[in-house]
Amino acid sequence: MTRQYEVVYIFDSALEETAINERLARFHALIQQPGGEAPQVNHWGKRTLAYPVKKHETGYYVVAKFDAEAPALPEFERAIKLDDGVLRFLVVVNEGAQPVPVTAGKSDEEDDE
Amino acid sequence: MRRPQKTCAICESGVRVVDYKDERTLSRFLTERGKILPSRLSGTCARHQRQLSTAIKRARQLALLPYIKGFTG
Repeated sequence: MTRQYEVVYIFDSALEETAINERLARFHALIQQPGGEAPQVNHWGKRTLAYPVKKHETGYYVVAKFDAEAPALPEFERAIKLDDGVLRFLVVVNEGAQPVPVTAGKSDEEDDE
Repeated sequence: MRRPQKTCAICESGVRVVDYKDERTLSRFLTERGKILPSRLSGTCARHQRQLSTAIKRARQLALLPYIKGFTG
């Protein structure tokens, strides 16, 4: 079963844009399904962190949405964890776009999906 | 004497799922020290308060929001 996930990366802001794109391509190759769509990548750019992370005051944020099979995720997360250029990351199930599961005996009139 | 029921600010804005990446909105539900405001004070409904607390905790992990505001050292 595939689910929609969302990952937020915080890269070291000293990295070049090309180095970040190269890393993103490497990570996303791990969760790419044959014939599936490429992840939607959104670069937020350099931002000040709310508190220092690994002694860095700024980070380069990238948000990506992708569909993947759950068994592919541990390998994906391991690859990110091993990369020193990533200060921090968070993978979550994307609830925002998911249709609300219909529970028995409950009617929802105003459905805006 | 009952005080009038406060209305949930998130319900009123028409948001269904609270986004952890939107730290501007989330910061409205924090105390000046960065703690999560209780729904007793903010007036949010139970569903949105649950979503808010998860969203704020995620935003903290991503260094979008501080764990403690104004803490140095």
